[in-house]
Amino acid sequence: MTSSATPSRKALSKIASNRLQKEVVEWQVNPPAGFKHKVTDNIQRWIIDVVGAAGTLYANETYQLQVDFAEHYPMEAPQVIFIPPAPLHPHIYSNGHICLDILYDSWSPAMTVSSICVSILSMLSSSTTKQRPIDNDRYIKNCKNGKSPKETRWWFHDDKI
Amino acid sequence: MDSEDDMHDAHDVESLDDDFYSGDTPMGSEDGDAEYDFVDNESEDSEDVTSHRQQQSYTILSVSDIRQRQEEDIHRVSTVLSISRVAACVLLRHYKWSVSRVHDEWFADEENVRKVVGLLEKPVEMPNARELPCGICFESYSSNEMTAAACGHPFCSACWRGYVGTAISDGPGCLMLRCPDPSCGVAVGEDMIRMLASDEDKQKYSRYLLRSYIEDNRKTKWCPAPGCEFAVEFVMGSSSYDVTCNCSYSFCWNCTEEAHRPVDCATVAKWILKNCAESENMNWILANSKPCPKCKRPIEKNQGCMHITCTPPCKFEFCWLCLGAWSEHGERTGGFYACNRYEAAKQEGAYDESERRREMAKNSLERYTHYYERWATNQSSRQKALADLHSMQNEKLEKLSDRQSQPESQLKFIIEAWLQIVECRRVLKWTYAYGYYLLENEYAKRQFFEYLQGEAEAGLERLHQCAEKELQVYLEAEAPTKDFNYFRTKLAGLTSVTRNYFENLVRALETGLRDVGPSGNQANANKNTSPKSLLGGKGGKSGKAKVIGTSSRSGDEAWTMATIGLASTAPTRTRGRQTCARCANSTGRFGLCCLLLCD
Repeated sequence: MTSSATPSRKALSKIASNRLQKEVVEWQVNPPAGFKHKVTDNIQRWIIDVVGAAGTLYANETYQLQVDFAEHYPMEAPQVIFIPPAPLHPHIYSNGHICLDILYDSWSPAMTVSSICVSILSMLSSSTTKQRPIDNDRYIKNCKNGKSPKETRWWFHDDKI
Repeated sequence: MDSEDDMHDAHDVESLDDDFYSGDTPMGSEDGDAEYDFVDNESEDSEDVTSHRQQQSYTILSVSDIRQRQEEDIHRVSTVLSISRVAACVLLRHYKWSVSRVHDEWFADEENVRKVVGLLEKPVEMPNARELPCGICFESYSSNEMTAAACGHPFCSACWRGYVGTAISDGPGCLMLRCPDPSCGVAVGEDMIRMLASDEDKQKYSRYLLRSYIEDNRKTKWCPAPGCEFAVEFVMGSSSYDVTCNCSYSFCWNCTEEAHRPVDCATVAKWILKNCAESENMNWILANSKPCPKCKRPIEKNQGCMHITCTPPCKFEFCWLCLGAWSEHGERTGGFYACNRYEAAKQEGAYDESERRREMAKNSLERYTHYYERWATNQSSRQKALADLHSMQNEKLEKLSDRQSQPESQLKFIIEAWLQIVECRRVLKWTYAYGYYLLENEYAKRQFFEYLQGEAEAGLERLHQCAEKELQVYLEAEAPTKDFNYFRTKLAGLTSVTRNYFENLVRALETGLRDVGPSGNQANANKNTSPKSLLGGKGGKSGKAKVIGTSSRSGDEAWTMATIGLASTAPTRTRGRQTCARCANSTGRFGLCCLLLCD
């Protein structure tokens, strides 16, 4: 399995594709440290390699993020998940869903893929244990049939990690 | 008007009766005094009981009232804190529209409040450059095409519009909108919305703002009736939670279920749950089915013989009576329709327990059905009465006014009667939920309750009959009927009598029929019209006879006595079923007094 379901596959609006073009250019000039993105024809889905930061639990481990952009990006948040196997982390479910507020309620159109990446890496780096969220099994069961994490009602309870 | 004198008479007597209710409340109990006040006021000005009651515990607010209050609150905060209207609005929203809380927090730590809510003391100018990049679409624009909140973070107009539009279509969260810059928490207030949102979105926003004023405020709630636009402001600590909206829907402010006095909120919740709960299905299954002895699935036997074959894949064949395998059955054990083994075992007592359980479940289901049916019937009667009330208001009253050459203002008593009928149906309905939860073993209470309920039912029937059937005559009359005034007095009298009876009933049930029970059973010698004395007389019949003896005064007084109190209504009804030789051709004024007189 390489991907979970994508949000409504509507073509990007003009605003969205303009803005993404700019992000691609900016990324090429100034990529966030620890991330690699190979530009493809498909501007609507980015596959990004993440390398765990040195000195953290995930040092030298590589994971893949999948970022899908909706029609009205950036007004709408992109859908961001880890392609399994996802890093073992108290806020990352085994299906790759990430419990991080800026991906859902706290998204702002002034954020970028780059700023999301920085947040995710910081989330990984501050982890002190490699373990799944306690409700992993229950969540996975409810997420069958490739539900998008954007359909989940998230409850952000931990601002330490 | 002499009917008014009757009224006064009536109320004197009524306050006597009230004593039986409130008087038995132990003095010094928390609500005892309040109850007294209530009763006293009522007997003083009986004319306007309803409006009198309304003003004490709640206010109905229309949309324009709400806007006005909201505007006043915003204005007050804005003046006291010397901040803009928009800032005051943001602040109030944040502190759930409590003006005092805004003041307290602000004067305690203005700096912190500003930070939390996102209000800057001084607006920051946009960067001073000819061209600026928009933080959302990353295009560059000349600075006059850019807009910023108080923080000066510039975004182009198209992006602002997208931002605001998305927030508004996401729901009421848009009331707490902040600058799009992730590091900035400055509030985006109504002024920006007005500037940037589409007309439709502006309307949505102002609707959310209005809703927030009601929904986030602890003292206000929307009327729960479908389509109703009124809200209710409730004065905390009032004695009754019942609220009647201007849309005429009555509900309980505490639980927002329909008004349910004399039953309390917890019982109502229990009852409503029971009415829709699976638990009743379970009871039904228990009472009417048996589990297949092999696969344990419940089987309902609706007809036919005792030879049961379970559905595939089980297909187990067994005997319904003894639940044994059918292979062991035959002519010898009683054939298809009986089972000797069962009969024998039953006699030995082997089937007792599960059988008894089934029996109990069946009984409890029957009991519930009894109360539910009556509850539901009164509900639909109430709906019907409500419809009748509307047809009365909208067409019949005009017709009647025409036929009887009476100004409509003189016909209000008919509307009052119908309003009373609607209210009584409601109370009566809830007495069935009350009855359902009344403990089986409280024998005296149960009996008394059922007696009161029966009387209530009868009294209401009388009123209903008069407002419906007897009125018909006057509606159809070709010319003004001269005894229309008699009718007026009778219907108004019945309305008032029924109102009093039901009010007493509600109070009695609310206090848990406190005056019944082992300790409250000694009837007071000089109050032998009290319902207690009726009960004391065991079965009530003998008590009723006594009442008549003591209360038969003459003429009007006798009538009022007969129809006012809880107790004294009883005899008239029971006697009403017999024909009275003396008054058969008399034109007894209200049809009731004569019954008493001839006693």
